[in-house]
Amino acid sequence: MDDDRFYQLMEIYRNPEHQGELEDFDRSSEGYSSSCGDRFKVFIKLEKGRIKNISFRGDGCVVSTVSISKVCGYVIGKTAQEVEKMDIEDIKDLIGIQNISVSRVKCATIGLETIKQALLVGHQADL
Amino acid sequence: MKILDPRIVREDFPILHRKINGHKLVYLDNAATSQKPKQVIDSIKYFYENINANPLRSVHTLAEKATEVYMDSRKKIAEFLNAEQDEIVFVRNATEAINLVSFSFPFKPGDRVATSYIEHHSNLLPWLELKAAGIKVDVVGVDGNSELDMAYYSKPRKDLRLVAVSQESNVTGTINNVKEIAKDVHKNGSYILIDAAQSAPHMEIDVKDIDADFLVMSGHKMLAPFGIGVLYIKNSVQPIMKPYLRGGEMIKSVKLDKITYESPPQMFEAGTQNISGAYAYGVAVDYLKRIGMRTIQNYEKGITRYLYNEARKIEGIKIYSGKSRQYGSIFSFNVDGLHSHDVAYFLNKKGIAIRSGFHCAQPFIEDKLHIEGTARASTYFYNTKEEIDIFLSELKSIVRKYGRR
Repeated sequence: MDDDRFYQLMEIYRNPEHQGELEDFDRSSEGYSSSCGDRFKVFIKLEKGRIKNISFRGDGCVVSTVSISKVCGYVIGKTAQEVEKMDIEDIKDLIGIQNISVSRVKCATIGLETIKQALLVGHQADL
Repeated sequence: MKILDPRIVREDFPILHRKINGHKLVYLDNAATSQKPKQVIDSIKYFYENINANPLRSVHTLAEKATEVYMDSRKKIAEFLNAEQDEIVFVRNATEAINLVSFSFPFKPGDRVATSYIEHHSNLLPWLELKAAGIKVDVVGVDGNSELDMAYYSKPRKDLRLVAVSQESNVTGTINNVKEIAKDVHKNGSYILIDAAQSAPHMEIDVKDIDADFLVMSGHKMLAPFGIGVLYIKNSVQPIMKPYLRGGEMIKSVKLDKITYESPPQMFEAGTQNISGAYAYGVAVDYLKRIGMRTIQNYEKGITRYLYNEARKIEGIKIYSGKSRQYGSIFSFNVDGLHSHDVAYFLNKKGIAIRSGFHCAQPFIEDKLHIEGTARASTYFYNTKEEIDIFLSELKSIVRKYGRR
């Protein structure tokens, strides 16, 4: 990663899209990385089997925060099955970094994994 | 006292001459593992080219030579700690040593064991697990300066059987007065286990002076290879301990209806051991003794003081270590507005290796520091003042470019 790209990511990190807590949501789940202490919670509103709205709360590093923010934007309109098929390759394209080093793979994927978990087994909100 | 010249000792460490991302390597992750001098690296090759055989049992020349170097290493490490040879048990690392004690110590339901908030997970989890067996577990607190609550140890507790405590914290660098704790613990009729994984590489340790019952260390943090460590068990404590792993080389006689175990240390060394590792551990200890632990400690105090003096002038960082009365060569910090991983990433781009995250001390970092992790730079005797300057200058540049504005 060159300095310019990281600088752009820092700008996103300071003010990421989709950050916050949805008042009206159907699914929620928490993701946690024991090595770095990254902790995120996602909130998902479904409509006709598709993600209508999604947001996240929590703290992480630049890579994990930018990744969860970008994935949130990308999955709107998608079904659980479509999200389940996503992997690290999709994340590389979304955050614009192709060479994610082995120690940062967990940072890059914690957001996607938390969203998948919410869709599969996440707590249903009391409606 | 001898004065250490890092330029001379650095010549012994081949890896310190390599480049990372086009920059000279500045290795400041010594609390995770130390680098190895060529004497240690060469000894492993020498072992496999000249000595390799399964020791203790066979009578041929190589087996006898392997037995000899294995026993010789035990002797060297015993001398290093001022212990007796049969008090030294070879294990994989400090983690295995602590797990061994948690298993082999004769706890009964209703007994109490004490660990502390400042411990590495390896000196926390084996004790917390004992709760399932009806053992009460106390986690001794720390104050805002990362000092242990010493009053805990001086208070008599009838059911307290064992106190486990580290000599140096791997997060805050706090050096605990384990001699004073041992005195209190013994006055109350309990035993003490000292985790010296972080302290043994940096200071002289005398198990008799401390009056330790158990003391553990990892070879890889003190110039030796991975996969070899030591558990010291005081002679007078050995009879109460039951075997840990069972198998070859730890028995006197086996009949299907009666097994007679060897005496310690063999009783705790079931199966073929890491002989080349133990041999190289002996060479590592020789290396440390040749320089002298006091010389090492004195030199490290100097560069640690310099690091702290300069780092405390930097605005935009928070420092979590070095608050206790005595502390080692560990510097834990965060840059305001940045995750510790990102700080480590930026430093690595300039060839500077540090650790980031929880440092295997999650409860302390979350409950006591109330943060999500720290960046940690830790030095050893081969680090130079120039390297500290490179680190500080990069740190300032990260604060300026990426810190919270």
